[in-house]
Amino acid sequence: MKKDKIVISLAGNANVGKSVIFNHLTGLHQHIGNWPGKTVEKAEGTLHFKGHTIDVVDLPGIYSLSTFSIEELISREYIAVENPDLVINVVDASVLERNLFFTLQLMELETPIVVALNQMDMAKKKGINIDHKKLEKILGVPVVPTVATSRAGIYELMQTSVDVVEKSIGNPTKIRYGEEVETRIQKLSEMASKLQLPYPARWAAIKLLEEDEQIEGRIRQLNPKIVSAARKLAKEIERIHRHSCSTVITSERYEIAGRIAREVQEIVPPTKLPMRERLHALTTHKILGYPVMVVVILSIFFAIFSFGDYTSQLLGTLFENVYSVYENLFGTGMLATLIWGGVIEGLIAGITIALPYLIPFYLALYFLEDSGYLSRIAFLMDNLMHKIGLHGKAFIPMMLGYGCNVPACLGCRIMETERERLLATFVVTLVPCAATSVIILGLVGAYVGFQWALLLYVIDLLIIFILGRIAFKILPGEPTGLIMEMHDYRTPHLKTVVKQAWFRLKEFVIMAFPLIIAGSFIIKLVDILGFLEPIADVLSPVTVVWLGLPAITGITLIFGVLRKELTLLMLATLFETADFSTVVGFGSVQMIVFTLVAMLYIPCVATIAALVKEQGWRRALFITVFEIAFAIFVGGIAYRVLMLTGM
Amino acid sequence: MLHTKESALEKKLSQLKPGETGVIVSIQALTIHHRHHRRHGWGFQRRLEDMGLTPGTKVVVVKSAPFHGPIEIHVRGSSLALGRGMAERILVSVEK
Repeated sequence: MKKDKIVISLAGNANVGKSVIFNHLTGLHQHIGNWPGKTVEKAEGTLHFKGHTIDVVDLPGIYSLSTFSIEELISREYIAVENPDLVINVVDASVLERNLFFTLQLMELETPIVVALNQMDMAKKKGINIDHKKLEKILGVPVVPTVATSRAGIYELMQTSVDVVEKSIGNPTKIRYGEEVETRIQKLSEMASKLQLPYPARWAAIKLLEEDEQIEGRIRQLNPKIVSAARKLAKEIERIHRHSCSTVITSERYEIAGRIAREVQEIVPPTKLPMRERLHALTTHKILGYPVMVVVILSIFFAIFSFGDYTSQLLGTLFENVYSVYENLFGTGMLATLIWGGVIEGLIAGITIALPYLIPFYLALYFLEDSGYLSRIAFLMDNLMHKIGLHGKAFIPMMLGYGCNVPACLGCRIMETERERLLATFVVTLVPCAATSVIILGLVGAYVGFQWALLLYVIDLLIIFILGRIAFKILPGEPTGLIMEMHDYRTPHLKTVVKQAWFRLKEFVIMAFPLIIAGSFIIKLVDILGFLEPIADVLSPVTVVWLGLPAITGITLIFGVLRKELTLLMLATLFETADFSTVVGFGSVQMIVFTLVAMLYIPCVATIAALVKEQGWRRALFITVFEIAFAIFVGGIAYRVLMLTGM
Repeated sequence: MLHTKESALEKKLSQLKPGETGVIVSIQALTIHHRHHRRHGWGFQRRLEDMGLTPGTKVVVVKSAPFHGPIEIHVRGSSLALGRGMAERILVSVEK
């Protein structure tokens, strides 16, 4: 049978090289979006292969097809219900047993499978030799050895995939459990086969025995008797094995995976401790690991900020020149000013964040992630993050936050549960981003003293800690601990790193640019209409009376919503000097209070957009309003304390 | 749970020292009394099992982070980081 259009999905554990294969297959024809109604990424692409048009869907990296995470639910619903023509199961040859556990589950979904036995080079380095022909025979599905990073085996993989779809080759072996489990599966699957289910009856039967809530719910609607029969059968198994039925099934499935792995692989561990293992030992060392981490992170930030500073100055000069041309062409009329100040400057604002800072930032991030270092950082920081009810993985978005809060918010997706995501998102919006650092260092650092700038960072960390802890106590639910695979260090695949950075950048531009432009347009309009001063007056009870700041700062704080460093730039414009030490009524106390408020008061408009995207507008609104109120509260207290100290 | 104290000793996984090996006996679900949280206690246990930490599995502790931080274990040919709280709920038997 010749099919014109074939749908293939890629499935497998995390970090097995799935996205590298996806990139090889689809090249530039990719579309990254979200699964409908979910904050889980969906990557799709198209390729043409020997006259076929093939749609490739990259499923999230998961370890099981249970209901632990949204990613797992999405994947199994997709495979079972959408019924792709083929699933390419990408398997890490160097961790065969764990990966086969997932393969077995895919086989139970009775969908046509081709196994891509990937990272064969890595396996070889670890002294693991795999007889893929034997594996093919045991599983009854085609197995193609690949080294995705060097494109080896990709052609064969596609050829085999098309063959499987067209000629229906492959006869997947039935996975048989122990006698006590097997007879009960068969009993249940007979009952389930009478129902109209989108899943194979045997799979549904297994899931029923595992007390899978989602499947139970579905079947209860059709025939509640089957669910109660399943519960009874599960209890019987529990009595025999003295473990819960799902434990027994998982255990047996792993036993099968282990047996197959042992049968097909031969391990001759290398005698010399390889470089990557020494690196692993160093970077997770209980003492040395920390200084290494600090040096790595600081040097990355230093490199990014130096590059960013240099590039944004270049861009600044460029845009100044553009402006003089613009002025010559359109004059300084009201409309011309509005378009320049509102629309074009908004665009410039966006570009000067994205180009100099975000691009290198994303590149560095994905480079570290792909190499495997991020998981080591999560390991080192787990303990500390537990204090605010999160686990080690949450340190990664937090770290991102020091660069920009937007990727940090999006990065909170690595947390497993809804609760953790919300908590982490809240925490990262309190982290001072690069723009906030410009204020802290440019105002307090330059005019009050570096130690005061440092103190502000420490205060911010304390605030994060305290608020995080309070949020952790208030939010219902139990904290999850860290369970994370630490895959071997490897050389990152540059093309994949660049591509991931590119997609993130695109996402940022689409999400944030319209808002930044709209925001600056509105503020410019208000300015031209002469409403800025009245607004500053309205705000004066807060700014002047409570915070002890000049009334004019109210205006700059409004501008800060667009981009936080604008508060400082605006301040210079409004004070008509860039030397703040000469401004009367804006002494050390005011500078510190102003910076403190600017640091805490609101996530910028782009961050709010990211918050809305990840958490919905209600939570975004709540976090925003809370942080404004909190910043004003803390600022007022700081003002009074500082006055008391007689500064 | 049956104890076979003659030949083996039962310990929490978190109590093993780096280099020590244990065989998983059981995983204790969280003791949560709120009705809505039932799933969570389960979720955690199933997650561990899905990662290969099933009863009868051999686990080697590779290292443990300072100040009661997470531990690194070797299980089924791969390396896992496990939070201290998780490791405390895993009972293992250790050969004497």
